[in-house]
Amino acid sequence: MTLRYYVIRRLLLVIPTIVGLTLIVFILTHVGGDQRFLGEYINIHSPIPVATQEQQLSEKFHLNDPVIVQYFYWLGAFFQGNWGYTQTPIFSGPVLEAISLFLPNTIVLATFSSILTIMIGIPLGVWSAVRKNSIVDHASRVISFIGYSLPVYWLGLLLIIVFASPNVCQCLNVFPISGAVTINLTNNLSWFRAGISYPTHILLIDSLIHGRLDLFTDATMHLVLPVITLTYSILASVIRVMRSSMQDTLDQDYIRTARAKGLPNSVVINQHARRNALIPVLTLMGYTIAGLLGGVVLIEAVFNLPGIGYWTTQALISGDIGGIMGGTVIFGLAFIFSNLVVDILYGYIDPRIRY
Amino acid sequence: MFEDVSSAAGLIIVLGYVAIAIIDAVDPQLIGVLNAYTEVPNYTNPVPQPPSWPLHPFGTTFPGIDLYQAVMAAIRVDLWYSFLIVLVGALIGVIIGVTAAYLSGFFDEILMRITDIFLSVPYLPFAIAVGFVLGRGLDELSLALIVVWWPLYARYARGQALAVKENPYVEAAKASGVGGWGVITRHIMPNVLTPVFVQVSLDLGTVVQTFAALTFIGFASSNPYLPELGTLISNGFPYAISAPWGVLFPGIAILIFAVGMNLLGDGLRDALDPRNRT
Repeated sequence: MTLRYYVIRRLLLVIPTIVGLTLIVFILTHVGGDQRFLGEYINIHSPIPVATQEQQLSEKFHLNDPVIVQYFYWLGAFFQGNWGYTQTPIFSGPVLEAISLFLPNTIVLATFSSILTIMIGIPLGVWSAVRKNSIVDHASRVISFIGYSLPVYWLGLLLIIVFASPNVCQCLNVFPISGAVTINLTNNLSWFRAGISYPTHILLIDSLIHGRLDLFTDATMHLVLPVITLTYSILASVIRVMRSSMQDTLDQDYIRTARAKGLPNSVVINQHARRNALIPVLTLMGYTIAGLLGGVVLIEAVFNLPGIGYWTTQALISGDIGGIMGGTVIFGLAFIFSNLVVDILYGYIDPRIRY
Repeated sequence: MFEDVSSAAGLIIVLGYVAIAIIDAVDPQLIGVLNAYTEVPNYTNPVPQPPSWPLHPFGTTFPGIDLYQAVMAAIRVDLWYSFLIVLVGALIGVIIGVTAAYLSGFFDEILMRITDIFLSVPYLPFAIAVGFVLGRGLDELSLALIVVWWPLYARYARGQALAVKENPYVEAAKASGVGGWGVITRHIMPNVLTPVFVQVSLDLGTVVQTFAALTFIGFASSNPYLPELGTLISNGFPYAISAPWGVLFPGIAILIFAVGMNLLGDGLRDALDPRNRT
């Protein structure tokens, strides 16, 4: 089978997974009864009696049908771009609009953390495998061990205490600890409403479009602590896998051959060993993305960032079905598609894999 | 040698936590827990007081309670729910995984595809969705985490059972007329349980963290008197800069338990499954 057929088959397999995912979440959120669902839509100040409103809404949302039938109504609307409505303290309106407003913030956070993780984790893993039992090796093992045990939101709180407490050191009070931007800077801005910037909703880009370098710097400073926290939370597993994979690779025959024919150490490590050792790390990246998605929920809560995780949490606390459905589906889709990309890359990088 | 010391340290830490939990359940006065969740008498303003020996060794925290007693009481609750989540999750997972492996064919395919769908959802949003149905509360939260956790064990137990199933002694048992149920319970299950048990010990640290994380974001309840480590951290959060102890001590309690559990889990894995030794 060629790569093209593999990709097509893999893409087709995504469909039943998405249907299964949405079905589980739909049944979970809708089995709890109609009353909770209708609460958001009923207007008690309207002259129409509540009972009549309930009846009309039940018909409108097909609530008298079995859950499974309701699901297919929902799925039809879902593919037509109607994901329902959300009502949370930070946003009320169509779910799809909420996602388009909040997702960019999360993507920025996750992108920076992934880049940092790769830039730190892979060299550190390689180094500790090559110089086994050196100080760097021990240090990176300690880092990765603590990384497994440290609650990510608590690390965020520690950073807040260290960088904002007047008792630690005034010299450290450089990074803002809450929100995506200093609110005073955004007063009277036409392209910044309710914590969201326009038109791309990515503050780093929007501030440059509107020529506000001070806002760009400010937004970057606001990202520093959340990115550090998120990076640390996924760094541990990358270092650990890279280290053991590199160790396995260094024991291979072809490495011995390369050394035997007199190649310099740097060529052996950088060109022969590291490339092959990267394959398990690629698989790991799929899992790491899951960790990343779980991490953003907590980190956005700690640092008060208006991202998709923050919105989903708000939806949970205010009992908002549209938001919980939308948030879970977005997280699930991100997870499914990132694993898809990892699987395809895996086959592409390692020619030994037959699809 | 280093592995022996570190897993012994892990065992001591974990036993210490279990001891705290048991003492707190039996005779809380032994560890100085008198009335953990009543307001301290001198709590006159909403600002927490710093640690002071011997009255408030960890200080006080919002909403006016002694932090040391609160942490001790919370450890019991967190430990109980974490053990419950992992053990029930593992039990369900092992039953489904071993059944799938034993029956093979069509049933195996169906059970594993269902497991895959559960595994394709990142756990935190999924737990949020489950929790939405069940309502907010610690019991509901642990049920949500069981729903999230069992598929991992199902897949793991199935893998183990598939390997065990091919052993000659299983064939011998079948040939001598042992029924399907007997083969599963007497011959396959015992050999699957050991590696699953190691996995359980490796997961416990993560479960404690996840449990507290979800209560931290307000999953369980908005009741500040809830004796739970994540709730304590969330209580201390608004005062984190002026009164960092309210955040530090409950977090350290989680961190030390997770470190101990990870050390113990690594040691158990090395002892019971020498192939993975690093």
